[in-house]
Amino acid sequence: MLFKGILQMKKKSFLALICSVVVTALLLGGCKNSGQNNDKTLQTAAPKVDSNNATLLRINNQIFSIPSPIQTALLVKKSGYAYNKSILNPSDNYAKYDTKYKKALNLGLYGADLGYISLYDQTQDALLYLASIEKLATDVGVADMFNAGLVKRFQQNMGKQDSLLSMVSEAFTRSDAYFKDNKQNDISSLVLVGGWVESLYFAVQASTNAQANPKDVIRRIAEQKISLVNLVKMLQPYKDRPEYAKLIKDLTDLSSIFDDVTFAYNYIPPTVDVKNKMTSINSTSEVKMADDVRKQISDKIVALRNQIAG
Amino acid sequence: MKNRIALLVIFCGLMFSCISASAQCDSIATACAKRNLEPSFISDGQQYRALLVNADETAEFHVTFYGGTIYRLAACSGMTDGNLIFTIYDSQRNVLFTNGQYQNAPYWDFTIKSTVDCIIDAQLNPTTNAGSGCAVILIGFKQL
Repeated sequence: MLFKGILQMKKKSFLALICSVVVTALLLGGCKNSGQNNDKTLQTAAPKVDSNNATLLRINNQIFSIPSPIQTALLVKKSGYAYNKSILNPSDNYAKYDTKYKKALNLGLYGADLGYISLYDQTQDALLYLASIEKLATDVGVADMFNAGLVKRFQQNMGKQDSLLSMVSEAFTRSDAYFKDNKQNDISSLVLVGGWVESLYFAVQASTNAQANPKDVIRRIAEQKISLVNLVKMLQPYKDRPEYAKLIKDLTDLSSIFDDVTFAYNYIPPTVDVKNKMTSINSTSEVKMADDVRKQISDKIVALRNQIAG
Repeated sequence: MKNRIALLVIFCGLMFSCISASAQCDSIATACAKRNLEPSFISDGQQYRALLVNADETAEFHVTFYGGTIYRLAACSGMTDGNLIFTIYDSQRNVLFTNGQYQNAPYWDFTIKSTVDCIIDAQLNPTTNAGSGCAVILIGFKQL
């Protein structure tokens, strides 16, 4: 009887020990992988790091960086295109988005829209879009990043383009950090996809508008080939969810059209200005995209964007 | 009973470690942006972070730098400068830059003439980091 009791005690201790080890392992794994991607496809797709067998980690679930939508909007403006409100997702559309998935995607769309509006100093429109963003941000859990304080600072800085763009970028950067800290990489990815699609939509609209020189804008569209591959990889962990699966399929279809876009890279050694902490990257790249390919890409982007905006 | 308490202590300790690591990264990212990203640079909207266990580990990410743009890369680990070494490679693995040659400068600017796809590796500075640390890289940009 006593022996049985001791055995039971040992069993319990052993079970407790096993539980401790399992919990510890799970937590350590979870901790280390916090913000990292668990998708095997991504892990095998990542290239080797260096020759000294250093352990490879992935930064913040982002093996690849997604370009800022503001950067494309800046290029559109620089190329001579006038402000065109009709290309934006109407600010009152926010009420139509009834799921977190749609809200997150359109938060990205509206973020790109706000960046575009800020570039052209459109005060009233900026406030309208900021209000819509605030509502969607509240619904996806990042109300603090787009609160009344931001609206007030926005109003105080109207006309100061650099300040406005910094505020928009910082708010989205803090949201991105919040999502990742809270293991909501799915939501973070949707916001990034939304911003990317909308900025490309700006570029497509500009490329078909004869009012200015579309050469640089068309090139920028072609240069999205790699970013698109990265976006698809970023969404892969969520491929089993029907809405995500549809989005992945749409982006994959778009990516297959981009397969006909070709690049030629020529390495030229960089030059360094140590005093100013500045390095000039002198390498050159050429990109080729046939007109019919451009047309297919444009049509697909317009369809995808309108599908997201609803 | 003792085992349950021990389990609870382990659980709480590890939860606290995770939360404090995240908080640590947050603080580093905020301080890094303040110290090294001038307001004239617009953030790319993302924070790149990695918990590196030791100086042998490498964090890696891929980025496209667009032509006609000046980028600023800020690299931090801990609350002081010089704790993170980063190296930029092109797609052919040519080294385009490493701050290791410049006293591990916490930031550096890059003028990009033509769009280039790059890989950035980041490692903790072995001389200042005995253990683990949170590596943070921030990217800002402005037009040429």
